[in-house]
Amino acid sequence: MINTFAQIDHLASAGRSPWHRASALGKLVLAAVYVGLAVATPSWGVLAVLLLTLLVMCASARVPVRLMLAAVATPILFAAIFVLAHVSTDWDQPLQLFARPMVASLTAVWLVSTTPYPDLFAPLSRLLPRGVGDGLFLTYRAVFALLARTERMWSALRLRGAMARPLRQRFAPLGEAVGTVVLSGFDRSHRLYQAMLLRGHSGRICGCRHYLELTRDDFWVAAAVAWAGVVSLALWHLRLL
Amino acid sequence: MSHLHIPDGILPPALWLAGLVLTALLLVWSGRVTVRGGPRLIAYQSALGGIMLAVMALPVPITAFDYCMTLAGPVGVLLGPASAFQVSFAVTLILALLGQGGLTVVGLNTLVLGLGAALARPIYLRTARALGPARATALATAGSQLASTLAWVVLLVVSVRLTPSLAGEHQIAHALVQGIQRAGAAIVLPMLAAAIAIEALLGYGLARFLDRVRPDLLPAPSPARARRPAAARTVLP
Repeated sequence: MINTFAQIDHLASAGRSPWHRASALGKLVLAAVYVGLAVATPSWGVLAVLLLTLLVMCASARVPVRLMLAAVATPILFAAIFVLAHVSTDWDQPLQLFARPMVASLTAVWLVSTTPYPDLFAPLSRLLPRGVGDGLFLTYRAVFALLARTERMWSALRLRGAMARPLRQRFAPLGEAVGTVVLSGFDRSHRLYQAMLLRGHSGRICGCRHYLELTRDDFWVAAAVAWAGVVSLALWHLRLL
Repeated sequence: MSHLHIPDGILPPALWLAGLVLTALLLVWSGRVTVRGGPRLIAYQSALGGIMLAVMALPVPITAFDYCMTLAGPVGVLLGPASAFQVSFAVTLILALLGQGGLTVVGLNTLVLGLGAALARPIYLRTARALGPARATALATAGSQLASTLAWVVLLVVSVRLTPSLAGEHQIAHALVQGIQRAGAAIVLPMLAAAIAIEALLGYGLARFLDRVRPDLLPAPSPARARRPAAARTVLP
């Protein structure tokens, strides 16, 4: 998991593709359009083209195949539960139930892989209460240190045979181990609080506005949005027999 | 089970739009409640949110399958309803941006996770005096997990009912749908019970540890706990 987080974070800040150079605001708009179309369209044709387009966008942004596969596969279980609970007479609906979340989750992965998190959270935090917006930044930052600590704790538990115990006896020691991570998190939060005071925390962690700065590469973002619009107009009423 | 985040495009728009609106209202409310905590509370919330995300990544082997913990109950006990709801939102949004759970259903996923987290401290405060911190946390965690699970099941049922389906149109097809749903319930319900038991045991272990080494982090449930020396009381508001 830490590898996934680190991989996405590194890709977002060190990537060199046109998608990375485009403005965060443009990419947020694109993501909203693609997710909105995925959720609203009744046509499997639109979904299929959006899925292919996103695969091309992810590949051109050099998103690792493993991440793309994970994004596509994660919603399948829930979609399958819903398809089973909701048997239908035609093929359109089950196909849509599988394709819609795939399109949306690939869009999300493309967005976070091409946009550094301060640019991504800055516009969102302007829509949220201040404490919640700041919490987003700090939670994301805390994840890296705590994931590393949690994984070390987990390895130590396994090496010392905690997982070889009978099933009923595994979880209380595991809870105690998680308790050590909670303590570490508490200490970390104190250090963070002191750092915030020293740096003169003004009530908003990232007040920056560089997510608004448009670049030439926003042309590609606009083209991708226009392509989605054209595809939707052409294929909106396409149905399977 | 609340960890099985709902993806985009599955639920009817009326449901996820209502979820977004309700979550926005609850975030505004929680923002007002927690404003007195200041940066210290934000830092603590963020640390616990980071731990929730980190712990969710740990697969606990249970016979043939792995279970991923949520830690929503213990985090709810440590933070209280308003802060725990904010943490649930941050965790759900970050997960959605990583492709785990949908962007349009961030509201509903937050409500499912946040409902359980928000209920944990009231349950803990009502039972800690009689049961002690470890058992009370276990009970609060079980209650939290049960509430989240029920909310998740209710969402699934409501969304199936809101969408037209084959059921009821034809007798054989209706029987088929019912058969599939019963088989699904027979598989899913024991898994839900196991998830509740596992989370409760984890909460028990966590609270037992904290009660030994940093009891001040656990909320004071009764006058008996409040009589502790001032230095050992909860540091956060």
